[in-house]
Amino acid sequence: MSFTTFLVDDDPGILKALARLVRTAGYESRCYSSSQEFLRDHDPSIPGCAILDLRMPELDGLELQQRLAAAGVERPIIFLTGDGNIPASVQAMKAGAVDFLTKPLRREVLLSALSRAEERDSKERQMRAERQYFEAKLARLTKREREVLGHVIAGRLNKQIAAALGTGEKTIKVHRGRMMAKVEVKSVAELVRLAERASIEAAVSPSHGRVGP
Amino acid sequence: MSVTAVESIPRQVADLGRHLQGPLLAAALYYLGAEAAFFVGTLSDRIFAPFWPPNIVLFCALLLSPSRQWWLFVLAAFPAHVFAELSVGMGVAQLLVAFATNCAFALIGAVAAQRLLQGPPWFGTLQKACLYVLITVIVTPMLVAVGGAFVPVMSARSAENYWTFWAQWYLSNAVGSVALGPIALFLFGERHGGLFGERHVSPQIPARVIAECVLLALTLIVVCVVSFESSATAIPNNFLPALIYLPLPFVLWAAIRFGSKGASSAILLVTTVLIWRGLNGPILFLAGSAESNVFAIQTFILGLSIPVLLLGAAIDETRHAEQTVRESEERMAFAAISADVCLWQIDLQTDRLWLTDHGRDMLGLNRKAALTRYDLIGAIHPDDRHSANDVLEAAMGDGKVAECEFRIVRPDDQVRWVRCRARTRDTGALSQVSGTLSDVTERKVAEAEVAVQRQEIAHLTRVSMLSELSGGIAHELTQPLAAILSNAEAARILLGRDPPDITEAAAALDDIIGEDHRAGEVIHRFRGLLKKSETRFEPVDVSALCNSTLQLLHSEMINRRVKIMTDFTAEGPLVAGDQVQLQQVLLNLVLNAMDAVNGMVPSRRILTLSTRIADEDSVEVRIADRGSGLSPADREKLFKPFFTTKEHGLGIGLSLCSSIISLHGGALSLENNAEGGATAAFTLPRQKHLAAT
Repeated sequence: MSFTTFLVDDDPGILKALARLVRTAGYESRCYSSSQEFLRDHDPSIPGCAILDLRMPELDGLELQQRLAAAGVERPIIFLTGDGNIPASVQAMKAGAVDFLTKPLRREVLLSALSRAEERDSKERQMRAERQYFEAKLARLTKREREVLGHVIAGRLNKQIAAALGTGEKTIKVHRGRMMAKVEVKSVAELVRLAERASIEAAVSPSHGRVGP
Repeated sequence: MSVTAVESIPRQVADLGRHLQGPLLAAALYYLGAEAAFFVGTLSDRIFAPFWPPNIVLFCALLLSPSRQWWLFVLAAFPAHVFAELSVGMGVAQLLVAFATNCAFALIGAVAAQRLLQGPPWFGTLQKACLYVLITVIVTPMLVAVGGAFVPVMSARSAENYWTFWAQWYLSNAVGSVALGPIALFLFGERHGGLFGERHVSPQIPARVIAECVLLALTLIVVCVVSFESSATAIPNNFLPALIYLPLPFVLWAAIRFGSKGASSAILLVTTVLIWRGLNGPILFLAGSAESNVFAIQTFILGLSIPVLLLGAAIDETRHAEQTVRESEERMAFAAISADVCLWQIDLQTDRLWLTDHGRDMLGLNRKAALTRYDLIGAIHPDDRHSANDVLEAAMGDGKVAECEFRIVRPDDQVRWVRCRARTRDTGALSQVSGTLSDVTERKVAEAEVAVQRQEIAHLTRVSMLSELSGGIAHELTQPLAAILSNAEAARILLGRDPPDITEAAAALDDIIGEDHRAGEVIHRFRGLLKKSETRFEPVDVSALCNSTLQLLHSEMINRRVKIMTDFTAEGPLVAGDQVQLQQVLLNLVLNAMDAVNGMVPSRRILTLSTRIADEDSVEVRIADRGSGLSPADREKLFKPFFTTKEHGLGIGLSLCSSIISLHGGALSLENNAEGGATAAFTLPRQKHLAAT
């Protein structure tokens, strides 16, 4: 699926013009004249970013951003506004927007923001995909095996792990082997990398037995 | 108590003295009058006194004093009477009867006169003079003579000539009433205030008038002498009546020139001359016995006096009426000048114009010239002549009072504003239009200034409203500009492709044109607010105006998160009005409503703007909010200038809106509504006939 821009603006003239501009850059576009319309129609699986007008009646851009975050939807957002409002822009960026642009909008500015958005979007998707992949693997682990994983990515020796978990080194070795087989990695380094990508935290101290995102 | 009693004794004595003054004077005059009459009788065999003065003296005395003192006068007169009659040897019984009849004459006469004539001036009106004659010349003497005739009957010891005696007694009293009575009343009744002590100050009589009186008196005397004497000597009988009439013009002259005073003086003069000549020379009336001579004289005097006295009174009445009218006119003229008002009157048949002096000055016309209605019309400013004429014609038509205001141009080219009120009067032969003119230039100038200032204020508030909305204007312009930029850049790319995508580029250019128009609209709408021009009435579609207002406020609405619901009547109601000013009112009211819901929960940040046809003749616009409503204290002061609930408000808004709506013939109101907020509503008269441009 190609990258799609979701345009949300209550002004029909701007909507049309932006859609046209975005299409000349080779992107797909979908237009919505209100936040509610967008929310009704939104499919998070479609790669793309949202370009939101700040000032809209009923549900404005910032509120829409909050709603999406609250619903756990990850969608890169570019804000567009007619007046340069500093507090709004700060709030938008802090809440994770890709950029905050002012109208009238130059093509280069928009395209540069879009390419950044595209990058971020694909990175995020990738990370999500990897996490899902890893989580699927993790789901197969037993409780013990998960604990061992936490200590392994912390770089501890079997001896230390055994001491930390209060079992024998041999038992640890068995758990470790099974764990590595289930997770399907060849080396510890690969495991660490995977874990990082999946945002799985290492066990902080030898006595800390928790493993999990 | 003792001190005041002692002090009051001299005062009581003084009072008594004052009270006795009148009666004693009357008694003295009574006696003198009687003696005079007797004396005349002794001077000649031919006649005796044609009238009896004492009765008249007593009558006048009683008439001029309060009735509670009458007993004093009668008491004082009695000794005088007794002395006088005894001196000619009248018997006691006759004396008493005579006194009784004399008192009866005086009393009845005085009672009737006081009741019917009431007070001085005794001969002021014709009616009073007639009553005087009726009382003192006809009724009372006739009545009294019934008793009085007994006096000579008793002397003659025979009732044979009772009616002759009656006639003698009657005429004696009657002639005295006309010859002496009026003069006595004038002397004592008016100038010296009678016996009450009132003072009546008489005006200074010019020397010319005194000379005329004296001349007239002398002439009258001479003419009387000549006429009475010549009529008795060698003149043919057919000329006698003409000769007798000789004094008449002079008597009439006296009556006409000097009213009843002149008349009574002339009568007395003629009577005196008649008596004097009767005593001494040959006169017409002497042909027989003394009684019949005196009869003749008495009849002549009576016949002459009564009409002349009445004429004098009528002249007095007319003069007085004229004086009253003159005084009234002077007062009115003074009042008119003080109020800067002038009076005018046009006689519709002759077109002659009467104008007060003040009016002539007002219009710059000559004080002496004869004027016609064209002088008045000519003074009116040419532009106003037509409407002024229409109003005057209307006044002439239905007889109601017409009012109009117009400019006049004075000969020195000065222009003044004048307010005219006119009405017609159709009184038989007369057909007039009359009215007033008052100078209202100051008021007109002030009104014009106020109107100019109101325009200025309206403009200023529009400008300030504009600056309030300037953020919105910027935003409203940014949108089309952004769309134009994006479309233009897209078109550029599309045309640069190989092959160029012409259709899409054309579509982009079309959109650019559309967006440009949109921007133009925004500017046009806002520029309308800046206009400063005179009020112009043209057809306005109210619903369209509301829409236009909402567009102006579009950004504002989004900014403040306020939703406006509309409910417009489908017919597109038309009113006659000034578009800019009405839009200003709408903007003001909607902005106020937005302020009212500031900071409230979203469910209350909803306004409703509606139009409807209220009844046959009016359109109603309502702006309802769900704010916190109006407090009772606010409601009273709402439309007063400089009242505001906003921190930075000027407080001109509502009072200005109210006056704009009033100017359009409508009414503005602001009331609390059922949802807890307030509703502003105004009505405008509907104009059904013209189509909106």
